[in-house]
Amino acid sequence: MSVLEKVRPALPPAAAAREPRITDEHGRRVRGWELVLRYTLLIAVLALTVGPFVWQLSTSLKGPTEDIFGSPPRFLPAHPTLHNYARVADTIPVWDYALNSLKVAGANVVTNCVGSALAGYALARLRYRGRAAATLAFVLAMLVPVEGIIIAQFTTMRELGLNNTLIGVVLPGSIGAMNVLLLRNAFRSLPHEMEEAAFVDGANVWQRFLRIALPSVKGTLAVVAVFAFMGAWDDFLWPLIVLSDPSKFTLTIGLNYLHGTFANDERLVAAGTIIAVAPLIALFACLQRYFFRGVGEGAVKG
Amino acid sequence: MATSVVSRARRQLPLSPWLFAAPGLLVTGAFILYPFVSTLVNAFTDRRTLVPGRFVRLANFREVLHDDTFWTGLRNSALYVVGVVPALVVLPLLLALLVQKNIPGIAFFRSAFYTPVVASIVVVGLIWVWVLDERGLVNSLLAAIGIGRVGFLGDQWLLLLSAMAVTVWKGLGYYMIIYLAALANVPRELHEAAAVDGAGPVRRFLTVTVPAVRSTMVLVAALSSVAAFKVFSEVYLMAGPAGGPAGEDTTLVMLVQRTGTGLTGRVGYASALSIVVFVVTVALMLLVLRVDRREDT
Amino acid sequence: MPTPRRALAAVVVAAVLLPLNACGSSDGGGSTDASGKVEGDITFQTWNLRANFKSYFEGLVAGFEKKYPGTHVKWIDQPAEGYADKISADAAGGTLPDVVNVSPDLVAPLAKAGLALDLDKAAAPYKPEYLDGAWSSHRIPGMTGTYAFPWYLNTGPLFYNKRLFKEAGLDPNKPPKTYADLFADALQMAKQSNGRVATLANVPTVEDFGRYGVELMNEQGTAFAFNDTKGIELLTRYKELYDAKALDPEALTATPESSGRKFLTEAVAMNPGSALDLGNFKKQAPGLYRNIGITDQITSTGHVNMYVMGVMVNSRTKHTPAAVAFAHYVTDAQNQMSFAKKVAIFPSTAGSLDDPYFTKGDGTDETRVRIAAATSLKSAVNYTPVLFSEQMKTALRNEVAKALQGKERPKAALDNAVRACDQLLKQQG
Repeated sequence: MSVLEKVRPALPPAAAAREPRITDEHGRRVRGWELVLRYTLLIAVLALTVGPFVWQLSTSLKGPTEDIFGSPPRFLPAHPTLHNYARVADTIPVWDYALNSLKVAGANVVTNCVGSALAGYALARLRYRGRAAATLAFVLAMLVPVEGIIIAQFTTMRELGLNNTLIGVVLPGSIGAMNVLLLRNAFRSLPHEMEEAAFVDGANVWQRFLRIALPSVKGTLAVVAVFAFMGAWDDFLWPLIVLSDPSKFTLTIGLNYLHGTFANDERLVAAGTIIAVAPLIALFACLQRYFFRGVGEGAVKG
Repeated sequence: MATSVVSRARRQLPLSPWLFAAPGLLVTGAFILYPFVSTLVNAFTDRRTLVPGRFVRLANFREVLHDDTFWTGLRNSALYVVGVVPALVVLPLLLALLVQKNIPGIAFFRSAFYTPVVASIVVVGLIWVWVLDERGLVNSLLAAIGIGRVGFLGDQWLLLLSAMAVTVWKGLGYYMIIYLAALANVPRELHEAAAVDGAGPVRRFLTVTVPAVRSTMVLVAALSSVAAFKVFSEVYLMAGPAGGPAGEDTTLVMLVQRTGTGLTGRVGYASALSIVVFVVTVALMLLVLRVDRREDT
Repeated sequence: MPTPRRALAAVVVAAVLLPLNACGSSDGGGSTDASGKVEGDITFQTWNLRANFKSYFEGLVAGFEKKYPGTHVKWIDQPAEGYADKISADAAGGTLPDVVNVSPDLVAPLAKAGLALDLDKAAAPYKPEYLDGAWSSHRIPGMTGTYAFPWYLNTGPLFYNKRLFKEAGLDPNKPPKTYADLFADALQMAKQSNGRVATLANVPTVEDFGRYGVELMNEQGTAFAFNDTKGIELLTRYKELYDAKALDPEALTATPESSGRKFLTEAVAMNPGSALDLGNFKKQAPGLYRNIGITDQITSTGHVNMYVMGVMVNSRTKHTPAAVAFAHYVTDAQNQMSFAKKVAIFPSTAGSLDDPYFTKGDGTDETRVRIAAATSLKSAVNYTPVLFSEQMKTALRNEVAKALQGKERPKAALDNAVRACDQLLKQQG
């Protein structure tokens, strides 16, 4: 501690005046060569993580006359065109499918946020017999290999009369075990004192949950929201099995029509994948501030 | 809603927690655990997709032991754990250190590094198959710098390695975030003290950072090993449904899928395979947590 | 509406019972008698046809509803991937549509489970309308009866790249006609190009064994037999090609799409296809299109291979007469003919292939390909046994790959494949 106190004032104020100071989160200056190194590394990783997407985007913008197999590869299309996107829209009713996906993903976000918050709160805060068993149920559910149970899920859904409905698509993943556990951890890491004060003031469980606990885990809720949206938006096999009626199809199923129909047209498939992935990236870009804060709350800590 | 019930539960009568947990338990029970129980029952029958099964005791499990494709699948799933988990424990930590400092534009880089996590695995698979194609991006680059083209998607081991690379690529951002959260809790004083003692960045990483985030590393190891052992999509999309040349890249979950689906699916046998996968996953999880506990004492 | 009580009942009560009787349950439904009045609401499911033929099917449905007032047909179309999974879930869950577009390998398990209507009983009068070979492609060894109307057929020529042939010192106007020619040309192609250009891009499938003249199953259809000397001979030849890189090194993981692309990018010299591909070549690879050569499928039996699509009637339909009438309507000569004119497929109805559309040339390559295919279809065979399931295909493919890699002798590989397929056949029961 004392070492620290001595170090800090030692920063040369003159240097700060000479050049625009670039500082870290503690207000400490980052040295020039280190900065260069950091940005070099950051850009290298950026190329690695985003490069494939850019390549796909570029492929989707290339016209029918442009060589997409050439070497060295060309990242910038010579004559960028939205023609491939128009063809996708001509072939399948993209907007209808996107709307269905939006409904399913939106509902999934709501049910997961509400359901997981309630269950997570119960697991974390409320003392009751059977809590260990309930927690175990969620942990086990997380470990079940989904690929093996899909027909049994369908049979259950049919008995409930919910096959071929969007509700049937949402229901099995509507309160994900992983999300419940995430929120349980978030609630557990909140200091007890806040709620105890409210308890003394006569607030009941419901009020404490709504007014005190819930606002403190907003970040984790953002994480859950992103996961829930992603999961519902990306799912293929389950919606395919539950839905029969093409007017109810979601985007991932709809885009699959491109496969059989234009198997050899990389440009069109690329346009399809960009349509599928763009909304997710947009959503994430909007929520990223909350998202990173949510993670900071220790949502994903053991 | 049930506010009146809840308000009576001021002294935490046993009812209100159950009300809170009810929706989650109901959904999980009805759509995950109950179907899993029926898988458990099926594992002891010879049920097929369209033919009701008869009870066959342990015949399916005995067959598992003599099934060559099972051992291939076990080998590949195990290799996947061995190949992917160390990379996913170490690389995201380094990445987290890289994006930890609040330098200008860092929010953009953090989000960008997370993009592969957000994109669906099907899309990721399509993109990478296209990137690793014999005439795709990577090979065009290799050819441009004078190295010959490499058939990433034609060779048994290259395929498995490529799939692992995709898994790591897609997981980097996810685990980076987890580490970022953990790093935020490492008291900076520890670093300062070490720096004063004359420790270089590498020593500080090993003596300060690693011990401080050790429990997070264990968590990441547990999560990623379970996911790696159950790997399906990456290999399925890149190696094809048959599992690469001569099926040598088949993983256990791919085997479950191949055996149990379709109109001629052997639901009983596939269920037995699922149970084996489940048991190994639970064991793997316990093992990792056990290692953690032992190091604690 | 689902009530919580019903949900609970499903969870608690049926926990053990349900998995054992969830399928094959007798939830009432249809009779085999198709002679009643054609009326009622039925559902018709096709396989990946909506994207390109929406208006055709809407017209088809409207025509039927007009012809039979009191009927209502709901048309649904499923995407290419996951079709077998979709049908499995529906069949197991009792939600199979009334009239379903199927391929022969999908019909077999459905028929065995009693879910497909026997058309020899329910639709016998219609039988003479179809080509014999097409009608019988939905018969199942070990069962009596025919379980789907034949719908469209497809077959196609072998495309080859004349430029690559010329560069390898082969006569671009004399493409291989027999397997011996094919193997010799392929080896020369590989040698001349230093292994850069392969001639074939796919490993042999069960259909290739059939075309080579291998007996695939025993007479009763109870066991597989493709591990005979002819089968071993074919696999041995393929191994030579693979070693010489005359069979593409990536063939072991090839899909129809990937091998098509290799042909398109001129990395492979030959590829089977259909008239549909010509337009694709023209648009995507003009360079290739200028050098395209077209020749007949190679066969040792005198019969080319064909693919058959069928239309099946769900035996549990509540409106058997309407379902049968509609399945017949979809596949009758007139509607098949107008479908064939929209896309490069061929009708399975008797006499349709004699239509001028399939016999009179107009100088274009498209027409030439169409006429040649139509002629060969009259004696074509669907070599793939209807009992050959997805799991069997994988087993064969993987054993063939082991032989090509030299991990197993061809004979051992085929013996293993036959053993695995026989076991799977037995398990299908």
